[in-house]
Amino acid sequence: MSEELTVIGKPVTRVDAYEKVTGQIVYGYDLTLPNMLYGKALFSPKAHAKIKKIDISKAKALPGVVAVVTGADAPWTHGEAVKDKPFLAHGKVRYIGEPVAAVAAEDEDTAQAAVKLIEVEYEDLPVYIDPEEACKPGCVEIHEDYDGYRKAPFMVRGAAPNINEHFKLRTGDVAKGFAESDLILDEKYYVPIIQHAAMEPHSAHAQWDKESGRLTIWVANDAPFRALHEISEALAMDKEKIRFINPAQGGGFGSKGGLKCEPIAVALAFQTGGRPVRVKFNREETFISTLTRHAATVYCKSGVKKDGTLVAREMTIYWDAGAYAEKSPTVCIRGSLPAPGPYRIPHVKVDGYAVYTNKPVAGSYRGYGIPQGAWAGEQQMDELAIKLGMDPIDIRMKNIFVEGDMSYWGEQLHAVGLKETLIKATEAIEYGKKSPINKPGLKIGKGFACIQKPTRSPTTSNAGVTVNAQGEVTVFAGTVEIGQGCNTILSQVAAEELKVPMDKVIMHQLDTDVIPYDASTTSSRSTYHMGNAVRSASIHAREQIMEAAAPMLEVGVQELALGDGKVFAKDQPQQSLPIGEVVKRKLGINGVVRGEASYTYEIGKDLDLETGHSDHASAFYMYATQAAEVSVDEESGRVRVLRMSAAHDVGKAINPLNCEAQIEGGVVMGIGSAIHEELIIDATGKVRNPSFLDYHLVTSLDCPQLIPIIVECHEPEGPYGAKGLGEPGLAPTPAAIGNAVADAIGIRIYDLPLKPENVFWALQKNKKSAA
Amino acid sequence: MNKKIDFTLNGKAVSRDVPTHRLLLDLLRDEIGATGTKEGCGTGDCGACTVMMNGKPVNSCLILSGELAGADIVTIEGLKIGAELHAVQKAFVQDGGAQCGYCTPGMLMMSKALLDSNNNPSEEEIRYALSGNLCRCTGYAKIVQAVQDAAAMLRSKNP
Repeated sequence: MSEELTVIGKPVTRVDAYEKVTGQIVYGYDLTLPNMLYGKALFSPKAHAKIKKIDISKAKALPGVVAVVTGADAPWTHGEAVKDKPFLAHGKVRYIGEPVAAVAAEDEDTAQAAVKLIEVEYEDLPVYIDPEEACKPGCVEIHEDYDGYRKAPFMVRGAAPNINEHFKLRTGDVAKGFAESDLILDEKYYVPIIQHAAMEPHSAHAQWDKESGRLTIWVANDAPFRALHEISEALAMDKEKIRFINPAQGGGFGSKGGLKCEPIAVALAFQTGGRPVRVKFNREETFISTLTRHAATVYCKSGVKKDGTLVAREMTIYWDAGAYAEKSPTVCIRGSLPAPGPYRIPHVKVDGYAVYTNKPVAGSYRGYGIPQGAWAGEQQMDELAIKLGMDPIDIRMKNIFVEGDMSYWGEQLHAVGLKETLIKATEAIEYGKKSPINKPGLKIGKGFACIQKPTRSPTTSNAGVTVNAQGEVTVFAGTVEIGQGCNTILSQVAAEELKVPMDKVIMHQLDTDVIPYDASTTSSRSTYHMGNAVRSASIHAREQIMEAAAPMLEVGVQELALGDGKVFAKDQPQQSLPIGEVVKRKLGINGVVRGEASYTYEIGKDLDLETGHSDHASAFYMYATQAAEVSVDEESGRVRVLRMSAAHDVGKAINPLNCEAQIEGGVVMGIGSAIHEELIIDATGKVRNPSFLDYHLVTSLDCPQLIPIIVECHEPEGPYGAKGLGEPGLAPTPAAIGNAVADAIGIRIYDLPLKPENVFWALQKNKKSAA
Repeated sequence: MNKKIDFTLNGKAVSRDVPTHRLLLDLLRDEIGATGTKEGCGTGDCGACTVMMNGKPVNSCLILSGELAGADIVTIEGLKIGAELHAVQKAFVQDGGAQCGYCTPGMLMMSKALLDSNNNPSEEEIRYALSGNLCRCTGYAKIVQAVQDAAAMLRSKNP
């Protein structure tokens, strides 16, 4: 439409703000159901062991206990890419924290007491902590039945033990490329396990009605349709018998997709005579038994010409999957593919291996594998520049993707706003200019990093939009409001197309009985996919209103326009009808106009299994550059981020206030992963820091000056030109900080996090070698 | 051991017969049904359960019911002034201080506690006051901005 946009592009306040600041909104963790029972799980204390015997008799005998279940009562397995995870352990356990049995009781204290009465005998098996060790020849398979599991068609089983996915990218001939290079660097980088730590811990409620055969699950899950599919497949139950209802969700960052508390609640719900069961994980249980982000060991080798032209890049990445596959295969694929960075490179070889270990399960995490690759690739770009005597900006400018470039995975790129992000982010911190701060023992440095991020493709979003006789608009969309602001963005889209005020738009609660299918609220896909679906559904509703209004206003449809909640004749604006009035005259006081639409990125194609190539691998690409100024205390090794700019190509900022909020939140999460966060797991597989006391999130005192920068490189297929934004916020952050630390102290640190002891020892080692 | 506890919650008298070891957080959420106060960790590390007790902010997960006799408790449900939002609530709406919103009730109670004693805090003072309240969504920038704006609103009302 050529008309001026009324609400798209405006910094409108969040539609859910009022219910959040008053405490009225009900999260999954707040939910109480009538006649509800309280569920508690028993978690494995062993990282890898056979279950010899389980005795539940004492637990069952405790007054107030209604049901006790073990794997024998729940003989089902689930998993998105690999169906490898039992609802409750079957015959063996594979990590400390794996649910083994569960109790439903009249109150929480009784449930907890009963769990303690369950007796389990284990027989130890070898424990694998390091993925590179776990895939050595002769290792015991953590999943001895792996080959028999149902798997997604895009998966390639590795040749060695415990590999659940081997991703291959092959472009050109890296041997030839390295032979033609003037300088070659080959280094090993490491990114540890971290956790999402959404402020709301995990929970799920389930109820089984024997009469109707219906299973209802109330859970703050960011992909309820996928979870429904997984449950249906596991239980061999018809999909229409299963209903997911989403209460509000207190953050997720990737941790609340898939099934966590849900299988435990479902296993219990079949044994309670129809009473609903609530299973809540406390914070420690959330740390050990939900999801983590993949640790990654990245071997990165690059060859360049003297003038800085990249010739070849070879990367081998070991993704630490933990005990079950979860999203590992797709993190391995979509994290390894763009790992060589947003550059023109003629010769590229990438091998990504997702490897089972006896650790908590790794899964999707905001950024989906991009931060791990960038930590290696972007630090190596700086090292190459320094060794060539080039400015790190210049080496990137020479190789960076621009409009129309052919990527190394065989896709011609469009809407590439990367260069602008690089220029703006580095300018914002005065990159290249020496800092005026000069304190003895304090070293100041600056650094930056660039990333590209694809989105999961092809995927589908459906939406419905209704307009009633009161002129109120209801949006039926399966995107989950996890805090990212989708309810505001999608309301803006409907308000824009129907030209109604924002307060006339209501987002319907997510209930799979009512809401049409959406793939998931992941991968920064929602603004683009669901934005397109809601936009088309709104237009569909609008067209019906216009058709109905034409005879009422006695003008042709083409002569009509919408504005301020009214339909009017273009040349006689005073001749108008409120849209609700049109609906009323056409359909009566209870009439409702329904618009519907579906959006799929139809030309999306899966990657070739041998080469990793696809000419349409992603519906769109997000590009970003972040730049950091840091100080390093030479005595303690403490790194402080002083200021951080973050320039993100969002296509079109539908809501600039929300874009800034997403960028700021992402950057600060990225700072945590750069300088303090690490889930410490000992040689027995035990998490040593499962609390906020010992696992340090960034606090209000640790934040630098944040400079969010919005770059708009119009994406023609996106709604109003929009792409996505949620995930890239933290992706370049650690690499930018790593480059700044190296600039400050002249030492490159290859392992995250940059916590004081790591930096201190790097400084000491350097002193020694200098002496 | 159960005990009859009398206290004030958001200006109303409450009388409950509860085990003395019951946490104030659980008493509010599970027994009274006031779920606006959030549980984030249960160990006093995240601040999501912050409420006002006798005019001071406390982690309600660290308060036992046995300590409540005669106490004056104010939770997020009691922050509004009549039908009107408190200045910190208004500022959080306007500035985008809430994203997922789960830390928000605790953040707001802590912000109110700060503004009750200091209606013109510096950015440093705000950051220090909120340093025990964890947020995973916002990066704190818009929260700090909201507290500054709330302080300005309060000052213009009561200069």
